[in-house]
Amino acid sequence: MTTNGHAPDQPIIECRNVNKWYGEFHALRDVSLSVQPSEVVVIIGPSGSGKSTLIRCINQLETHQEGTIIVDGIDVGQNSANIAAVRSEVGMVFQQFNLFPHLSVLDNITLGPREVRHVRRAIAERKGLELLERVGIPEKAHQFPGQLSGGQQQRVAIARALAMEPKILLFDEPTSALDPEMIKEVLDVMRELAGTGITMLVVTHEMGFAREVADRVLFFDQGRLVEEGTPEVLFARNLKHHPRTDAFLMNLL
Amino acid sequence: MTMESNLAPTIYDQEPERRSPPLLEIGVLAWMRQNLFKTWIDTLVTVVAFLVGISVITAVITWAVRDANWYVIIYNLRLFFVGRYPVSEEWRVWAALLLFAFTGGAAWAAWARASRRAVIAAVVIVVASFIIPTVIVQTIPLPYAYFAAGNIPVTSGSSTQTPQPQVTFIGAAGETVMIRVAQGYETDDVALSGLNSFADDVTNLLRANAQTRLTNDQRAVEINAALAGDLLTAGQRQRLERELSRLTSLPPVTETYAVNQAPVDVRVLRASTFEPVGEASLTLNGGELIVTLPETGWYILEKLAADGAESVTVLQTRGLYPLFERNLIRSQQVDAAGNITAAAGRVNQYVRMSDGVTIEEVRPRIDGTDLPFNGIINNQLRGQSDAAGYARLFLAPLLQQISIPALLIGIAVTAGFGFSRLADRLAPHPILPRGTSRRNAAWLIVAAPIIAIVLIYGLGGNVLPVTETSLWGGLLLTLFLTITGITLSFPLGVLLALGRRSSLPIVSLICTVYIEFVRGVPLITVLFISQLLIPLVDPRLAEFPNVFRATIAVILFSAAYLAENVRGGLQSIPKGQVEAARALGLPGWRITWSITLPQALRAVIPALVGQFISLYKDTSLVAIVGLTDLTGIAENVYAQTEYIGLRREGLLFIAVIYFVVSFSMATLSRRIERSGAGVLRRARL
Repeated sequence: MTTNGHAPDQPIIECRNVNKWYGEFHALRDVSLSVQPSEVVVIIGPSGSGKSTLIRCINQLETHQEGTIIVDGIDVGQNSANIAAVRSEVGMVFQQFNLFPHLSVLDNITLGPREVRHVRRAIAERKGLELLERVGIPEKAHQFPGQLSGGQQQRVAIARALAMEPKILLFDEPTSALDPEMIKEVLDVMRELAGTGITMLVVTHEMGFAREVADRVLFFDQGRLVEEGTPEVLFARNLKHHPRTDAFLMNLL
Repeated sequence: MTMESNLAPTIYDQEPERRSPPLLEIGVLAWMRQNLFKTWIDTLVTVVAFLVGISVITAVITWAVRDANWYVIIYNLRLFFVGRYPVSEEWRVWAALLLFAFTGGAAWAAWARASRRAVIAAVVIVVASFIIPTVIVQTIPLPYAYFAAGNIPVTSGSSTQTPQPQVTFIGAAGETVMIRVAQGYETDDVALSGLNSFADDVTNLLRANAQTRLTNDQRAVEINAALAGDLLTAGQRQRLERELSRLTSLPPVTETYAVNQAPVDVRVLRASTFEPVGEASLTLNGGELIVTLPETGWYILEKLAADGAESVTVLQTRGLYPLFERNLIRSQQVDAAGNITAAAGRVNQYVRMSDGVTIEEVRPRIDGTDLPFNGIINNQLRGQSDAAGYARLFLAPLLQQISIPALLIGIAVTAGFGFSRLADRLAPHPILPRGTSRRNAAWLIVAAPIIAIVLIYGLGGNVLPVTETSLWGGLLLTLFLTITGITLSFPLGVLLALGRRSSLPIVSLICTVYIEFVRGVPLITVLFISQLLIPLVDPRLAEFPNVFRATIAVILFSAAYLAENVRGGLQSIPKGQVEAARALGLPGWRITWSITLPQALRAVIPALVGQFISLYKDTSLVAIVGLTDLTGIAENVYAQTEYIGLRREGLLFIAVIYFVVSFSMATLSRRIERSGAGVLRRARL
């Protein structure tokens, strides 16, 4: 995938010394990381470790108080005009799907392109149907989110994010609210996406997915980046890890 | 169990047969057992509630079909519905009504299912409103009306009731009038005291007089006894003698009057010429005067006791029906050729209550005095409450008045329904099965109130002259206040709710202060402010019609409550919805408009409709600031002398109207709620 005017080696996401507090609670502590275009990065870590907070700061659903986050060459902390520009380039998939229950599946998908990109309805709908085809549920276009299973809803949510043709996709625990048999259908879609060259930043507890798809795995704990590496390295039993990583990986099994 | 059970799973392969639940666990019996008689407290509550309910319902229905005097409603229906809206402009109200009916039909076809039951019910109602009154009129004769004839002035306290020898009535050409002495009243005190009008007064006063005289007699006996002794002082003696002489100068006691015993001479006269059409002398056991009336117009019944004895005779008549007088303000009447056929001005009409025969001739006069007429329809039922007579007097005329409107409304609803179905067939929506009709119906729902208000208020010019808002009244005014109140307070309430949640502190503060202030003040205060205080700010505001000032007060009041309802809805929207919309890059106003507001409003439909219903009922308060809405009209109607004592009828009637509209709104809201996201989800327009 091309990077639209950026040098190939320039990161598409770069965080430098990001700090965030919720009141007194220090949620992100000096987080620095960079993601290259087309890279698939999986963030793991225990609950409350700041992994969701970090990706929510990337599209500024949360604001950070210190440090710099540069997405696609734009400093998102600067002003709100930048935020709008960044958001339209960054798609996000939520744990709770957050589909709009009063809109049909197709309207959920076409709302963004029509209202933000000012795409004509007919074109947006054709694109929306293609995306539904891609996530495997074209027949649900005119149903409402409430009529779909959890896995189908999450696939619609992915299609909704893709409809904006983002450069980056953020996944915030996309399978945590799903029944085991539905997790697979969502992961299949994500696996397929990873192969297309889109930049993905995935917060998940699905270690199998991380092992199989990730270019790089980051381990977060207590608001800081503790360890990173390729999945082969990070999940390797025989290598020396940070004690917290060891503890976390132990608990997974 | 054998040893094998340790090596293999235990298998239960004997399938129990499927059977119906025990009788006491299903159906009505089970429901009653579980819901009405579960514990002894439930049983007690059930029984008490049942008994109380039965007795209340029985009492109300008994009163409504036996004692109530519905003519106050029947002959003021126009007032109750449109107030004093000009007669010549009444078509505009009809047009608005039919437009709403059409819209209702179109919306029904667009969102609901065609219900065979509803169609059958509507057809039955319309057909029944035509057939039932016809059948009643054909099969049930009008009940008798009663008059008294007597030859003595009756004194009671300070008032003197002189029997009127003449009563006027309206007759139509060819009608037969029958007069005879009423049977049974000479012995039946209860029936006698039940007679209304003159007969009632006379008999009551006669009896009261007889009672007084008996008391006087007793007193005379006591005085005589006292005077016979020698215990009195000269002064006391003098006083008692004076009293005795007054008592003995009174006529002697007659214990009962000879009701219906004296013969009566009756004559029926044509009022235009005073020439008799028929005459007879009637006695208790003999004779009827039967007269066929030669022309339509006023007639006079003359009734004189034949002999000199003090007497009261109750006459039973058929064909002399009660009248009411109405004053109309009529605009100038012009015929097709452009000639003025009637000048504009006040018209006196006399309407026969039993069947609506109307004449405009001047009332007959003798020696410069208008002759009395029988103005109380219950005079026909007194002494003999009679379901058939009740149906003939009240039910038939009421149904006759609603039959044509019911038919027209039915046609308009059907036309609206057909319009929607046709639209879907001719121009089907590419995706949604009923998309076209839904778009049309949505537009109609928005347009209908606006068109209706323009129609009713007017645009000026010859076709739609502006109507005087002070003439608006009754249900028309109530619905005007309600519809404008809802359509304008709703957006204002939404803005206030959004303002209160605004991140700008000044906006939030202003909205909060407004909402809390209005919610802390009774509506009646806001109404008085709009009527009395606003003109003080600028005298020119006093020229702004009362109706509009009251409407604005209702809007401002209701908006504060709606704002709180909407705010509740906005708070119920999960944060994730806004986040998802923000993540798509939607601008803030777009998120509110497309994501949060539609969901918030849907979440609070019950509360919103509740607020609309209470707005509708609260409009009755404008009666206090002098507007004649439904409540105000009712007050005005039973303040008239001829309807005195008929307040309960008026109140029950407007209560029914209020209930029907409120209940329809509540039902509609329940249906919208129940449809959930499935049916009322945002229509793709």
